[in-house]
Amino acid sequence: MKCEWVRENIVLQVYGELADDARHELEQHVARCADCAAELKAEQEFHALLSRDRADDPLFSEPSPNLLAASRMRLQEALETAPQGSIWSRLAFDPANWLRQVRFSPALASAILILGFAGGVGTTYKFAARTDQIPLPQQPQTTPSDAAIAGIDSVTQEPGTNKISIKYNAVSTQEVQGSLNDQRIQQLLLYAARNNFNSGVRMDSVGLLTQKPTDTQFREALIYALQYDSNPGVRFKALDALGPYVKDDTRVRDSLLHALVNDTNPGVRTEALRMLEPVKADGSVRGVLMTLAAKDSSQYIRSQARTLVAQLPEID
Amino acid sequence: MLIREAQRGNRAAFEELVRHYDQAVLRLALHLTGTEHDAQDVYQDAFLKAYKNIGSFRFECSFYTWIYRIVTNLCLDHLRKKNVRKEDAPVAKDSSGGEYDLLDQVPDARAGANPERDLMRRQLGARISGALEKLTPRERMVFELKHYHGLKLRTVGEILHTTEETAKNTLFRATQKLRGALADMR
Repeated sequence: MKCEWVRENIVLQVYGELADDARHELEQHVARCADCAAELKAEQEFHALLSRDRADDPLFSEPSPNLLAASRMRLQEALETAPQGSIWSRLAFDPANWLRQVRFSPALASAILILGFAGGVGTTYKFAARTDQIPLPQQPQTTPSDAAIAGIDSVTQEPGTNKISIKYNAVSTQEVQGSLNDQRIQQLLLYAARNNFNSGVRMDSVGLLTQKPTDTQFREALIYALQYDSNPGVRFKALDALGPYVKDDTRVRDSLLHALVNDTNPGVRTEALRMLEPVKADGSVRGVLMTLAAKDSSQYIRSQARTLVAQLPEID
Repeated sequence: MLIREAQRGNRAAFEELVRHYDQAVLRLALHLTGTEHDAQDVYQDAFLKAYKNIGSFRFECSFYTWIYRIVTNLCLDHLRKKNVRKEDAPVAKDSSGGEYDLLDQVPDARAGANPERDLMRRQLGARISGALEKLTPRERMVFELKHYHGLKLRTVGEILHTTEETAKNTLFRATQKLRGALADMR
């Protein structure tokens, strides 16, 4: 019975999962029983065999910095469009949270109350004073020549008459002016940096975004441009603006690493390598540098990476 | 607090949380799926799921357990599908009619100072991988979390929605099977 109990618990002993009293009991028994001692030894050897083999296998060691960086970039991209939380949990009224917020912002709560009251009173007066007919907004009477036709939805003729109705969609050029702090300008710049088919426009937009890389959204757009823009000039511009943040922002660091490893343009790769120099001792950067030093296809990158690796302190 | 911030919709806070856990998540996915491509898919699905459902995290367990629960569920699904697909494994027949795995024939690019030792190591690795694949998905998961990730069996039980005792029994079964399958290797 004792031997049977020991056999069942040897695995837990090897994995350090036995309670202190059970461990003591098992050790006492193994000291006296040769069979169970042999079984414990066999289990320990088997444990060591599995551990030793896997330590040599790259698949079973830590994921490579490249794989980790690529996974992070892919996730960030997916998060851009992912909705968060269930609708109910976000819409649900949480009295405790609401009270907490009101407690911490009494001035704001009072302001909202006063504004709501004033707004209600104002609207009542306005409505009472204008009981006459409210004019409908004028329909814009644009002709097809005034705007580019994006598509025709339907063409119908009223039966028995010569009246024809055509529904069409029009695209007209509009202009907006403002400073870089203007929210509308910011939205358009962010849109243009990601979506415009004209690389010249993307270049100008990214150029303006680089003036304010401290803004989170701007920095996101720059990271996106560095990773995905098809034009090397745009990528280069984004890279230059991101460089100063390589020390403090790990996402910037990952995007630079991604560019260093994957960019098709040698100039962008070389610049990324130069900009990563201040953080060369970082674990992920070190890993990439060692890989590049060993087997990059570009001789220049290989030699530069070797130089940087040689400057790194040894890890004991 | 990062979790609360992420629950309020702060994406930067969520990404900070990701960085605390993602290396371990990727490692687990890599071990269990066996390919970088599948591991990346599991990583992506796990964190997107966490992002979408973080509002429902109620602090009843640690965030570590919660995120591991998501990843292990995805990996278990993957292992179950893989077991179904096993029939389509790239197995070929040699001239004497014996079957061999085509993947074993892919040359290993790693440089080895001792080719003989390298060959033995590869053979051992292939045998261990084969033995691990014969475990049930749940046995494989418990063994992986205990042996390669060093988690306590109590935590393993919490992650897999079971008791510590069941996790112990599953680990015992898994090691017995592995020892049986690899008896001649010692």
